Amino acid sequence: MTAIALRIESDQFDDAFFEAIDEQITKAPQLLLDAPLVLDFSKVPEFADSAALADLVAKLRTRNMLVFGVQNTTDPQLEAADGLGLIPVRIGRDGPAPEAKPARKSKVDRLLPPDNKVITKPVRSGQLVVAERGDLTVIGPVSSGAELVAAGNIHVYGPLRGRAMAGCHGDEGGRIFCRALHAELLAVAGLYRTSESIEDELRGKAVQIFLKDERLCVEALG
Amino acid sequence: MTTQLKDEAPLGRIVVITSGKGGVGKTTSAAAISAGLAQQGYKTVVIDFDVGLRNLDMIMGCERRVVFDFINVIQGDARLKQALIKDKRLDTLFILPTSQTRDKDALTQEGVETVLNELKEEFDYIICDSPAGIERGAQLAMYFADEAVVVTNPEVSSVRDSDRVLGLLSSKTQRAEKGDGEPVKARILLTRHDQSRIDKGEMMTVDDVLEILAVPLLGIIPESQAVLRASNVGTPVILDEPSSAQTAYKDAVSRLLGEEIEMRIESERKPGLFQRLFGRSA
Repeated sequence: MTAIALRIESDQFDDAFFEAIDEQITKAPQLLLDAPLVLDFSKVPEFADSAALADLVAKLRTRNMLVFGVQNTTDPQLEAADGLGLIPVRIGRDGPAPEAKPARKSKVDRLLPPDNKVITKPVRSGQLVVAERGDLTVIGPVSSGAELVAAGNIHVYGPLRGRAMAGCHGDEGGRIFCRALHAELLAVAGLYRTSESIEDELRGKAVQIFLKDERLCVEALG
Repeated sequence: MTTQLKDEAPLGRIVVITSGKGGVGKTTSAAAISAGLAQQGYKTVVIDFDVGLRNLDMIMGCERRVVFDFINVIQGDARLKQALIKDKRLDTLFILPTSQTRDKDALTQEGVETVLNELKEEFDYIICDSPAGIERGAQLAMYFADEAVVVTNPEVSSVRDSDRVLGLLSSKTQRAEKGDGEPVKARILLTRHDQSRIDKGEMMTVDDVLEILAVPLLGIIPESQAVLRASNVGTPVILDEPSSAQTAYKDAVSRLLGEEIEMRIESERKPGLFQRLFGRSA
């Protein structure tokens, strides 16, 4: 349940105070009318006048604000609130703490410098090479059963017989380049093609693979 | 590694014979290569890592002389000297058979290392006959290797498995993990090569295989009746009657020893680019 906290800043509940509240209600009726409300005493630790408190609660309730609790109270304040039907609310401890958002982490990742990878040995069947941030360049063959994954582009100076996935974090501008296309699977930003759907005339050719209008295009180079 | 003087310390070089795929000729090749090295005067031991599927001793023709095995030595039940079987034909050749009743979990990395270190003190070449697959047994067989002979048939699944094994050799071995010095020197031994089937398009050509695997070629062993015959009588091909397979294995052994020998295939085909490139460095 979401409740609104009304933080009391003075122990004088004069007309100006209620005028300010009425103004808030006119500004945001959906938020405040019929809203569950908690009184926050953190700014007024000395205030413990039960009559004034009862008056405040009554006046708030006439404005259709459903005061039901108090928070950040001292013991005398709790006593003053006693009998007004207000429950002490502890803040922020009942529900599980919200988890750190992964979105923030990826933002940090993006701020890190790119980390391009260059592999000068053959990438063999069963091997997985990932360039988490940046381009992946392989100088040598990539065997069938091997996987290349990069956040950016993938370059293969040799035959590409395995799988290549560029733009793995969703970069639609990622491209794959290879000297000789025999790939099992090609993907850019999650859109993929298997070797079955690659035109025969492009097989074995030097090609680039890129996204155009949400379509994965394979184009001969040179 | 040119000449071997009797007084010199042993070379202590560990060579793994591996493939990934089963039935391509690892054990036959291990037997032939170790016999070939021994024939050239190098003190050689061949170890069977295929725990539970003991075959090497049969191909070497010493299965009736097995008392203790590799696992007994690892577990401390026997001394290495007790388990080593001396070949009757060559006095520089020894066999360390494996257990038929245990499985590959009986192999431990520490145990294997201890045994290999002890063998290094005495032998020039230690040939490890790997089991098929890429599991524990195969990984332990290759872990301490200095050199690897990857046995491959000219056929797609065998080539792909060999490729996987080459990947493991460059990542899951002691040399790879240390990262300094030389990586494991891997070469391809192409077995069951049948020119007539290649001509019919039923098998991959040597060039195709080498282009995919991109490592030097150690030798090409033709498909031959002599291989099966030799296995059945328990004689390594190299010690059996002359055959084309025998010549091919002898050439492979010489290349393993660092000699430069022209790649001889029973073929009119001109050697391709890869062959010329790798044939030279082999």
